[in-house]
This record gives sequence, C-alpha cells and structure tokens, in this order.
Amino acid sequence: MSSAFRITERSLSTSALAGLQATLSQLQDTQAKLSSGKAISRPSDSPSGTMNALRLRAGIDRADQLDRNASDGLARLGMTDTALQDGLSTLRSVRNAAVSGNNAAMSATDREALAEEVDGLRQSLLATANTSYLNQPIFAGTSSASTAYDPTGIYQGDSGTMSRTIAPGVSVAVNTTGIEAFGPAGNDVFKTLSDISNDLRTNPSNLSNDIANLDAGSVRMQNALSSVGSRYDQIDTMQSRNQVNQLDAKNQLSDVEDVDVAATTVDLQMQEVAYQAALAATARSIQPSLLDFLH
Amino acid sequence: MSNFDGLQIALSSLYAQQKALQVTGQNIANVNTEGYSRQRVEMTANSGPITPALESRYIGAGNGVTTGDTTRITDQFLQLRGYQESAVQSGLQQSQSVLSDVELAFDEPSDSGLSKLISGFLASFDDVANAPDDSSARVALVQQGQTLVDGFNALDSALATQRTSAVNELGSQIDEVNTEASQVAALNQSIASAVANGDSPNALLDQRDQLVSKLAAEVGVTVRPGDVDGTIDVFVGGTALVRGASANPLTMDVGTDPAQTVHVTWANDSYPAGVTGSTGGLLSGVNDVIPRYRTGLQTVEQQLAGQINAVHETGYALDGSTGIDFFTTDASGRVEVNPDIVADPSLVAASGSAGATRDGSVAQKIADLGTVADGYQQLVTGLGVESAGVNRKVAVQASVVQNIDAAQQSVSGVNLDEEMTSMLQYQHGYDAAARFLTAVDQTLDTLINSTGIVGRS
Repeated sequence: MSSAFRITERSLSTSALAGLQATLSQLQDTQAKLSSGKAISRPSDSPSGTMNALRLRAGIDRADQLDRNASDGLARLGMTDTALQDGLSTLRSVRNAAVSGNNAAMSATDREALAEEVDGLRQSLLATANTSYLNQPIFAGTSSASTAYDPTGIYQGDSGTMSRTIAPGVSVAVNTTGIEAFGPAGNDVFKTLSDISNDLRTNPSNLSNDIANLDAGSVRMQNALSSVGSRYDQIDTMQSRNQVNQLDAKNQLSDVEDVDVAATTVDLQMQEVAYQAALAATARSIQPSLLDFLH
Repeated sequence: MSNFDGLQIALSSLYAQQKALQVTGQNIANVNTEGYSRQRVEMTANSGPITPALESRYIGAGNGVTTGDTTRITDQFLQLRGYQESAVQSGLQQSQSVLSDVELAFDEPSDSGLSKLISGFLASFDDVANAPDDSSARVALVQQGQTLVDGFNALDSALATQRTSAVNELGSQIDEVNTEASQVAALNQSIASAVANGDSPNALLDQRDQLVSKLAAEVGVTVRPGDVDGTIDVFVGGTALVRGASANPLTMDVGTDPAQTVHVTWANDSYPAGVTGSTGGLLSGVNDVIPRYRTGLQTVEQQLAGQINAVHETGYALDGSTGIDFFTTDASGRVEVNPDIVADPSLVAASGSAGATRDGSVAQKIADLGTVADGYQQLVTGLGVESAGVNRKVAVQASVVQNIDAAQQSVSGVNLDEEMTSMLQYQHGYDAAARFLTAVDQTLDTLINSTGIVGRS
C-alpha cells in the first residue's frame, strides 16, 4: 500500500479491506487446493506442469494398452509352445515306429500294424496343428482360414506374421506359421508321415530316406520351438519393465499434478495466522477517532 | 471610520464562521458518500477601500471577512490518470474472465478432457489389432471414434455458447454506456446554467465525476473542458461521446461474415469506435480470443483426422478394399467418422495386405502413432500460458489502480479528525466574534449612556 500524505477514513477502510481481501483470496486458493488434492486444476495454474501432465497421462494410458497387448502375445506364444512340444513328441513316436519298421526282420503284418500306428499319429499331429486360440487357428498365419490344415493335410493358411507392439517402438511376432513349424506346403511333415505309412506297407527300403526327412522335420520344429521360447521371454521381460515404467510415470504425474499435503497445510496455517493478524490490525486502526476524545 | 464599523466587522465574522461551520457539517454528513469530494469555504479578509480618494483618507482597520465560493478539493490530473488506469484494469479483468471460461470448457488436465478421449481412441485400435476379425472390437473402435468426434464438437459448441453470451453482454454494456453518456450530457446542461448563475453546483459536479469514471472503466475515456463554462467533453478514442449537452450514442452490430465479427461503431456515422476498457476486453474476447481457440481446436481435429487417415488408407478392410478414410468431413465441414464405416465396421482397414483378415498390422501402426495428441497438448499449454500472463497483468494493474485511488482519496476524501478540528476552530471563531460584538456593544453603551452626564447622579 502506498502512504499518502493525508489519510481519510475512507482510504483507511479501503486499504484495510483490500489487504483483508488479498489474504482471504490466498486462503481460498489454498483451501481449494487442499480439498481437491490437485495443485493444477486449470492450465493457467502451471502451463509447463500442464504440458508434462498431459504427456504423462497419455503415456500411462498407452502403457495400459501395451500391457494388454503383451498379455495377448504371451497367451498365444504359450499355446504355440504347448502345441509344438506335443508335435515333437508325436514325431519322436513316429520315428520309433519307422526305425522298427526299417528292420529287415519285420513281417508284413507287423509293418502293417506300425503303418496304422503312424496313421493314427499323423491324425493326432494334424489335430495339434489345428490348435486354435479364441476361435483362430494359431498356425494359419494371417489368413481367414478356419483351420490351418484341412483333413487331408493341405495347408490352408498363409505366411503372414501377427505382430504386437509391447513397448514403445518394440514389436514382436506372436505367431508361428504352419510353414515355419511343419514345413513348406506340399513337402511338410504330413507328407513325410504319409510317405512313412505308405513305405511301411509297400516299400520298406525307402524308410531310411523317410527317416532322414523326418529328422529334418523334427529339427525344423525344434527351431520353431526355440524361437517361440525366446520371443516369450522377450515379451515377458518387456512387460515387467513396462509396468515399472508405468509406475514411475504415475509417480511423476502425482508430483506434477497433486498437491503436497504437508506443505499446503503449513501454508494454510500461516495464512490463517496472517489473516487473523490483519483483522486485529484493522480493528485497532479503524476504531479510534478524535470524537472519542472530545467532550 | 464609523462607530458602527465594529458591528459590521463582528457581523461579517459571524456570517463567515457560521457558513464555514455549515460546510464542515456538510463534509461530516457526506463522509461515507461515494464519490464525494470535500468542500472548503474560501475566506478573504476585507481590507476596506484601497483606491485613494480626493478629499478623504481611509483610516479604519478593515471591514471584516468575506466568504468566497465553496470549492471542491479535487486533483484533475489524478482523476485523468485514474480514468486511464481503470480502463486498462477493466479491459484486463474482462480478458481474464473470458480466458478463465475457455479454460473451464477445456477442462484439462483431467480424466474428462479431450486428451483422455484421444488416448481411449488409440487404445481401441490396439484392440482391433489384437483381434482383427472380431466384430465387437471393430464396433467398439467405431464408437470410440464417434465419442472423440462428439467430444470435439461439444467443446466447440461450448466455446460458441460462450461467445454468444459475451456478445449479449457487450450489447447491454453498450446500452449502459449510452444511458450514462446522456446523463452526463444532462448534468453538463444543469451545471452550465448553475455556473452562469454564479452558483457552485458541487453535488452535481461530484455526480458527473462518478458517471465519467464509470464510463472510463467501461469504454476508456479522455476528458477535456467544454466550450461552455462548467461543461466537459468526453472523448472515446478521439471522437466525442459527450459534447456539451448532447451525447453521441454508440452501437454494436454483428457482421455478416462467416466469423460474425462484432463491431462497435458510432450510431450517427457508423465509423468504428476505438473502445478500450471492459467493452474493449469483451470485444477482443469475442473477435479474437474465442475464435482463435475454436479455429485452433478445428485445426487440431483436422490434423488428427489427417494423420489417422494417412495410415488407414494404406490398410485393407476385411473384404480386401483399400484406400478407405476413417474420418471424413460432413456437409458443414466438420470432421466425422466415415458413415460407411459406421454402417459397416468391417470396413475398418486393419490389415496390411488384401485377404489377410487376421492381420492387424495397419491398426497396430495407427495405435502406435505417437504424435497424434501433440497438437492438442500444444493448444492447451498455449491457453495456460496466455491465461497465466493475463492473471499476472491483472494483479499488477490492481495495485496500480489501488495506489491512484488512495492518492485521489488523500486529496478529496473527508477526514473526520480534520473536520472535528475545523469545527472547533469555527466554533471558537464564532464565540470570539460574539464576544467582540458584546465588547463593541459595551463601548457604544458607554459612549451613548455614560458620556456627557458629568455631574448626573
């Protein structure tokens, strides 16, 4: 307040009121902050804080979605892993049968029995290849086919990859195509298994050839399995890291947006004291006048 | 010199002290009156004739005291400065209120603002990418898109409503200004005729000053003494609002251009009036601030739609078609979700190649777009900066105006202690004059009744 050389009753009361108003308005601001818990309730409270808050909020929302993507990816890879393990054990059983059948001492009836066993194993491998997740065949790539392989073993899918973004800028393929797991269409393990079954019945001398093909198929499936395993680990690690980052972002957001309750409560106390002092001063300065002293 | 001169002196003093006492009483009575300037009586000593005469010489002591005009104590220059600064203050306060309303409409940072809707919209593209042939994910995406567009539209119409009510307020303020201007003109006339008669119309002068300071806050005025004594001319932006006893009304008209620019003009010649003050603040809010944020919002929306469309056009829908826009513009130029997609969500181009219906790579690309919300964030931050700047200016200007008001008060305000003291002063003056009258009376009594009776018992 300025000090004029001549003070009047009005100017005294005007300036006292102005001071009280200023203190009261500060008090009101502090009270609003404490009851809402927000230090920034509108952009003008802190323009730079608002910019940070908007960015952090967008990042936190994105992290939620990336987490969902990661979970979806883990589920698919998990199913793929189980299916491929089943497939590998099926191929091992087929190999045993083929090796037994390759023994010259086997009789035709025995080989017939083995051939039927191989047929059964082929059917079960087909069923494994047609595993589905959420009504989608997991080995069909990105095609719209309802099963990855038709009943006769012909590949219906394509070679597309399904990718999921699991972290900003990080994208991981979450599928394995039938081609990758079971072999190129027309020359895959199903053909090898049919060959083994036929050769067991009609041409046992070709069995060593078939076993070689079968081994190649097993190696391919093993490679596909390792790829699935490493991708699973990658997504798992990224998901955990994402969660930690999201927590950090939430803390940062709280620092920017939320009010420091302890500091603001202290401010409130100090402003209350200041207001009371101002009121007392006003009372003392407005009351006395010359009239009190004249008779 | 006459024996009765003393009586005249005493009488003149009694008159003068009594008048001064009454003026003091007037000041005390008006200590709380808004806009009242304290008054004072000018007393001059009457020293008798000073021009030498041919055959006589004045040997008296004087002729007592005469009272002059009752003057108002005001500082004209403080007043003019007060008008200027209060115009600036009102203008800033009006801008502050406009920006504060715009901030409330945006409602950021919060969970109910547009930035949350933008995040939700992008997240639903993720869901479609995870299950591209799932119709429920597509339907949810379309709904999120529509919610986002609705959000933009709602914010725009909130700003439009704000503008409309600001225009209405502007209209009623102009009306008020015109009424006050004609009142000033009427007062000018009364004051002029009072001054011509030789009176001091102090109450009318106070009233006129009040009106002029209201006008200053509303439109920003400069004041000059008028051609006729006692009148003032009030100018707004260089043109006379009040000249003598006549007032020039202002008018507001809304333009026919697409932006509906509002103009404040003089009614008689339609020239634009250079108004400042709170009218000026409203005018800038209506013609500059609010349209600027509406345009900014539209640009943000169009840029967002453009960015999404650019990627969406490279994708393939479930039926293999490509080149589809997710957002289109409707008949009035506003952004909307493509009605074809609304009718058939399978047209959302999620796939990266024709026929690969379980490929969600394009949807994933859209969900990964990191810069989509940048334009909006910049708009909101800019709003915060502008609003915070005006808030600071208002605070500074408030203390400037306070200082000028205090200075004006110190010149024109009534101080009861001072009036009490003056009252005592004039009271004693009156008592002393009455005593003097008694003393003169006694001398006359001695002269008339007690001289020339030597020897009489």
